[in-house]
Amino acid sequence: MADIASPTRGVTCAATLERREEASPGVFILEFRLDGGPPVAQPVPGQFYQFNCGGGREHMLPRPLSVHGVTRWDDEVAVLKFLVESVGWGTERLCSLEDGDEVGLLGPLGRGFSLAEDGKALLVAGGMGIAPLFFLASEMDRGDKEYDLLAGFRSAGQFYRPLSGLKGGVDVYTDDGSLGNRGMVSGGADGRLEGVVYNAVYTCGPQAMMTVVAGISEEAGVPCQVSLASRMGCGIGACRSCVIEGRGAENLCVCSDGPVFESYKVAWTGAGDIE
Amino acid sequence: MELAVEVAGVKLANPVILASGTAGYGIELSSLVDLSRVGALVLKSVTLEPRKGNPEPRVWETAAGMLNSIGLENVGVQALIADIIPALEGLGTPVFASIAGDTVRSYARLAARIQGAGGVDALEVNVSCPNVEKGGIQFGVDPGATSAIVMSVKENCDLPVFVKLTAAVADISRIAVAAQKAGADGLTLINTIPGLAIDPATRTPRLGGVIGGLSGPAIKPVALKAIWECYEATGLPIIGGGGICDTGDVLEFLIAGASAVSVGTALFRDPGRVLDIIDELPGAIERAGARSAGELTGTLTETSR
Repeated sequence: MADIASPTRGVTCAATLERREEASPGVFILEFRLDGGPPVAQPVPGQFYQFNCGGGREHMLPRPLSVHGVTRWDDEVAVLKFLVESVGWGTERLCSLEDGDEVGLLGPLGRGFSLAEDGKALLVAGGMGIAPLFFLASEMDRGDKEYDLLAGFRSAGQFYRPLSGLKGGVDVYTDDGSLGNRGMVSGGADGRLEGVVYNAVYTCGPQAMMTVVAGISEEAGVPCQVSLASRMGCGIGACRSCVIEGRGAENLCVCSDGPVFESYKVAWTGAGDIE
Repeated sequence: MELAVEVAGVKLANPVILASGTAGYGIELSSLVDLSRVGALVLKSVTLEPRKGNPEPRVWETAAGMLNSIGLENVGVQALIADIIPALEGLGTPVFASIAGDTVRSYARLAARIQGAGGVDALEVNVSCPNVEKGGIQFGVDPGATSAIVMSVKENCDLPVFVKLTAAVADISRIAVAAQKAGADGLTLINTIPGLAIDPATRTPRLGGVIGGLSGPAIKPVALKAIWECYEATGLPIIGGGGICDTGDVLEFLIAGASAVSVGTALFRDPGRVLDIIDELPGAIERAGARSAGELTGTLTETSR
């Protein structure tokens, strides 16, 4: 298997909101056109951008958001898609932007998922973990790669409708059973790994879910890549805010060593959680 | 317009410096910011042995600022000397190493190691980190301990020594005078101010290390007061920082008594901010009626309008 996709040198640029669509209550698809055309590096699934949401002196930290898709990327125009849940000042501000509004971006940052050469992959998404994994699935569709995607939501109301357009097998789990299977998506992953032969597992979601998925993947002997979240400062490995513990008790910086890690590199004790 | 300044013998092309801790070891920022254009780079504090730092979460945004509880995670002085300082050779801007110890002797050893290795232009002595169990701010609130550390550092190196102080004391000028008498060549003011953020839903602290250091515009007035008092009391060259976001802030820091300023928290949202400030500084100084950056230093007039 190839190394986890190496970090690219992010650049700062202004970006203009082109399209906003409410995907489910409080969750928005935001499409931004990068001003000045495409920079050198096109983001890969799992990479993220730091958003300068224009907080003046009141809100000093940028907001890291995982790329949800590349709508357009050619010689003239770059348009990127983000899936954003309105949970605090920064995300609320982003979700209430109007078409034509500007933000500042820094990216693409971090290491993304690296795709195995062949065979079938299992993608396991919990909640907003669908943001990078939908991007990954779309890229796998483009490359005619085989995969199954398991997606967990609180209930039917949170279901992410574009999932129906993917080529891979999609199986949905809800906490209350209002759509698809009732129960945890990690439970679904357990069943799958016993039956089907997968060559890789890719997962993103709440910490508890990823811990379980990493554990059962390791037991099944299937390499697993996890996309972690952590409270970030700079996003480039300078401030050392977002560290988690590696299996050798070393510090791993989620922003620059990750956010995608091979699961065996993570200690799974104090790793960050998605909120 | 003359932007160049000299602080304790260190010549800076302009007075805008990258603050310790926020710019890592410089290498992380180098693809985003042309470091040769900044006045100087202050490296993240190192200790004798590498440190892993405090539990996560280590950062929390607060009103007009942020709390951090990194806990002096660093690669240790050996890696600094072997890997980082050589990588910064030819950077084109002065490099300040920053040291933090948990005993007087450890500061002395750090100073000697860095002096011996060469490659840095000045030393910043961090006696004000709020996020460590032993040392740090405990030294910086005590004139005797500060004095002992500065003396031991000066005995062990010939580099210009800047002492980074905390404003979390009743009278910072007492500490500054103690540092000066012990031989400090300059002061760096101010370190983050100890603070606490709470999640009311769980009644737990927002940070893994419970308390953290507050930085950003929220602490700017505290920093200005500290600089003004220390400038009046010591006349030492001061690197001033605390929430600097634009050239207006820079002017205030210079007028309060700083000879150079450090930008930190503002880098997180926009690493290029520091270069914007440098580009806009000549115009700002001119509008303030001065012909150079240095001309503004310590010009506070003590009558209100």
